[in-house]
Amino acid sequence: MAFNPKPDDDQVLVEKRSCARVIILNRTRQLNALSFYMVSRLLEIFLEDDGNPDIKLVIMKGNGRAFCAGGDVSAVVRDVKGGDWRLGAKFFENEFKLNYLMATYSKPQVSILNGIVMGGGAGASIHGRFRVATEKTVFAMPETELGLFPDVGSTYFLSRLPGFFGEYVGLTGARLDGAEMLTCGLATHFVPSTKLSLLEESLYKVESNDATKVSAIIDKYSEQPSLKENSVYHRMDAINRCFSRKTVEEILYYLEMEAMNNKADNWASTTIRTLKKASPTSLKVFLKLIRKARLQGIGQCLITDYRVVCHVLQGHYSKDFFEGCRAILIDKDRKPKWEPSRLELVSDRDVDRYFAKLDDQGWKDLELPERLNNLPPYVTSKL
Amino acid sequence: MDNDNRRASRRTEVLSNHLLPRPHTTTAHLSPSNCLSYAPPELSSSNPVSFDTYVMRSLLDGHNLDDRDWLFGLIVQSPLFNRQERGGRVFVSVDYNHTMEQQREETMRRIGYLLDRGVFRGWLTGDGPQEELRKLALHEVISMYDHSLAVKIGVHIFLWGGAVKFLGTKRHHDKWLRATENYELKGCFAMTELGHGSNVRGVETVTTYDSRSGEFVINTPCESAQKYWIGGAANHATHTIVFSQLYINGGNQGVHAFICPIRDSSGNVCPNIRIAECGHKIGLNGVDNGRIWFDNVRIPRENLLNSVADVSPRGEYLSSIKNVDQRFAAFLAPLTSGRVTIASSAVYISKIGLSIAIRYALTRRAFSMTPNGPEVLLLDYPSHQQRLLPLLAKIYAMSFAGLELKMLYVNRTPESNKAIHIVSSAYKATFTWNNMRTLQECREACGGQGVKSENRIGPFKGEFDVHSTFEGDNNVLMQQISKALLGEYIVCQTKKKPFRGLGLEHMNNPAPVLPSQLTSSILRSSEFQLDLFHLRERDLLGRFAAEVSQYQAQGESKESAFNLSYQVAEDLGRAFSERAILKTFIEVESKVPAGSLKDVLGLLRSLYALISVDEDAAFLRYGYLSTENAAAVRKEVLKLCTELRPHALALVSSFGIPDAFLSPIAFDWVGSNAWPSAQH
Repeated sequence: MAFNPKPDDDQVLVEKRSCARVIILNRTRQLNALSFYMVSRLLEIFLEDDGNPDIKLVIMKGNGRAFCAGGDVSAVVRDVKGGDWRLGAKFFENEFKLNYLMATYSKPQVSILNGIVMGGGAGASIHGRFRVATEKTVFAMPETELGLFPDVGSTYFLSRLPGFFGEYVGLTGARLDGAEMLTCGLATHFVPSTKLSLLEESLYKVESNDATKVSAIIDKYSEQPSLKENSVYHRMDAINRCFSRKTVEEILYYLEMEAMNNKADNWASTTIRTLKKASPTSLKVFLKLIRKARLQGIGQCLITDYRVVCHVLQGHYSKDFFEGCRAILIDKDRKPKWEPSRLELVSDRDVDRYFAKLDDQGWKDLELPERLNNLPPYVTSKL
Repeated sequence: MDNDNRRASRRTEVLSNHLLPRPHTTTAHLSPSNCLSYAPPELSSSNPVSFDTYVMRSLLDGHNLDDRDWLFGLIVQSPLFNRQERGGRVFVSVDYNHTMEQQREETMRRIGYLLDRGVFRGWLTGDGPQEELRKLALHEVISMYDHSLAVKIGVHIFLWGGAVKFLGTKRHHDKWLRATENYELKGCFAMTELGHGSNVRGVETVTTYDSRSGEFVINTPCESAQKYWIGGAANHATHTIVFSQLYINGGNQGVHAFICPIRDSSGNVCPNIRIAECGHKIGLNGVDNGRIWFDNVRIPRENLLNSVADVSPRGEYLSSIKNVDQRFAAFLAPLTSGRVTIASSAVYISKIGLSIAIRYALTRRAFSMTPNGPEVLLLDYPSHQQRLLPLLAKIYAMSFAGLELKMLYVNRTPESNKAIHIVSSAYKATFTWNNMRTLQECREACGGQGVKSENRIGPFKGEFDVHSTFEGDNNVLMQQISKALLGEYIVCQTKKKPFRGLGLEHMNNPAPVLPSQLTSSILRSSEFQLDLFHLRERDLLGRFAAEVSQYQAQGESKESAFNLSYQVAEDLGRAFSERAILKTFIEVESKVPAGSLKDVLGLLRSLYALISVDEDAAFLRYGYLSTENAAAVRKEVLKLCTELRPHALALVSSFGIPDAFLSPIAFDWVGSNAWPSAQH
């Protein structure tokens, strides 16, 4: 892996408070972006605790301004450029296994989302049973802008948001605040940040893994925030009208109609501009992913994500991911040169190739960690 | 003081216990291990996934998977489709508690939504196989949601729109096709009458031409001529196609099709038209079937759909097709697409039934083998396997065959019309009968849960029963196959030329000779299976020809000889269909690369072939198999079921039907029936 000047082992702080496992993401300078070490360590902790009867509950939070700003993709890009895309794939393999474990975990996970939650950070929290948003939460799935696609099994939960909000959030990378997350269902609770330490103290006292009991405790500190006047959630009708369309081109066409019919409002035109900045390939791949995901269980979603991400890393069909990382994260000129450069140059067949098994010796589909019976019903409904 | 407070608060608690339901307190201290819990079949090691279910789904669906998934998503994500959350999952299904009138209005609202999302785009104005396949795929998805919705759309687009497209000419196309696709009008299709259904040539509605005004005049001369079961007529349709006898100068030119407005744009019934309800039905109550009477209704001369025949302004009858039979056949063209879609939709409905029943059988236990031993999963009983797994094999077989029929249809040429007519008749009858049988078995296999409407299978029995009757009565269709095969037989015999087409080429070879001892490996070989099916078909065709000619020699008319030979005709129709299905299955299998998926297909194909043999008494009746070999076939069925059992879950997952289109008993039926879910 990449050379690191300081040891990694303080990137994840692990505590045990009575029956609660407390995991703190602690890589504050990188906004807790998940390094290879972090995903591997988290995977290890979750696997260990799964069968440990002394642990009834998992609390996850981040130090500093962020819960977690995503996977550390610039490190992945460095590895891949170093010659072997399989090294990069290993990062995603561990990350997706972790996502699966969280989605199907035998004990409730409470994630305290007091700050930035993006990409891989969403994957490390939204799959869990409880997601506590605050007035400081900023959520986004910004991958299409990077030439990647919202992965980490996010198409599972995005596709299950009301109407076609998931398409909107995933294609545009729109930022959501805590109130919006609660309203659409990405968050299960909204707790003002000032009450978080009290909430945590109460959670430490939980002696059972019964989700209804945990829920009752969080309820005590929860508030019902109101949506901001200009919240995008007030535009659900327009979002459904546009983002339910079959293709990205049609979505853009209906957004343009929306912009024409409602000139006073710049939501549609802003959305169009955002979409036009993103990688055309990423947009099309994501749209197909979320449409498939809506009809699949979490395991299938992650297996598909893994196939697609391996194609992206292998780079046979497009190098948009590397170009996006260069433009946004490395050179920071924010002027990626996508290839193909326009939506109409990406055919259905081009998109379909990302969903096929890789023709590369020794490559295998993602193997999900084995889950045993007696999982709670909120887990089995995701299978 | 303290004591008083305590007493007061206890008193309050007692009172509130009386007034408010307290659901959890009584059960909370019970140990959960005493209860049955739902174990997801996906996590059980007895259900390994040994092949790629998406590849299998691609083989089954065959085309437009992304379009299908898009439409599934449109339905699941909209509140118009009666989303219900049960046990943490969303399900969509119509609300059968609603009245007939409510269901009809809901159907229209759903159509409006699908229209707005562009689902029907190109369904009439598009041309070519790709457009047609997209339309067929989307229509299949719609029928999986609700038969009423599919039929209501099918009547408007396939029947009304199809008649305009296939029987009309440019002037009709320009005026109606785009307007129909956009639902600027609502069309229906008035063919059936109270007195005439399958025998369309006998309809009694009369149309004459008035050359002074240049109009046709339509009349319902008697009560048996009232148009009956006309979908869309009772509430919504603004226009209809009328099938009617055409009289020119007193001479009958046979059945013709006309466009006739029946309601104005505000929904008022037009003058000289009377419309009545058909009433509540055993299914399809979201479709407004009605009855129509015409009392000297005048329509412009241009409203005759004139691709086959026309009437000049002066009242001369003009037709390029002089032969009355051929002219009539041309008028029935729009019905072919109906048979193709019905055959295909019957397969998809069986897939839903089997997915639900098999998933339930993988989670529901009953009875223990030993005292205090664990109860046994339903699907681990050989009897339960033999109830469901042969039906699963049949649906795989019919799925491939239905796909081939669709391909034949969308790539049709004048030369292939006859084959399409025969194959679509055979498959429409075979698949719809099979669907009803499958649904009944699945309903019973789900026990009491199968009776609940939310579990879909029960209502489907009523909803899809009509499949065996509309667009051609199944029995009539099956007889047409035997007649057509006999026609081929006679031509080949008299002209001394070889059989070509309809898969009858095997008739040119000497009769296959079967091994006398049937081992397991022989029984599973596709060559043997095909030989056996060929033997049955060639023998029955010979028998049928002999029997008909024998009756004719005794002085019976040709028609009467057919009627008297009905039993053999029925056997032959079945032999033809099953052979055609098996042949397609073998072809599909041969194109799959070696591996676990091919192996599973091989098991399914063998099970399809052998259960068909086991269920058809003809093999013993006419001696194609010895009693000993027939018994060997039956034993092999059992063995194949055992071998398929581990693949059952993956095989129904491969159908690609979203969870939301299945039902609560297909998933966590303990959770979905738990007390909290009864609270809302």
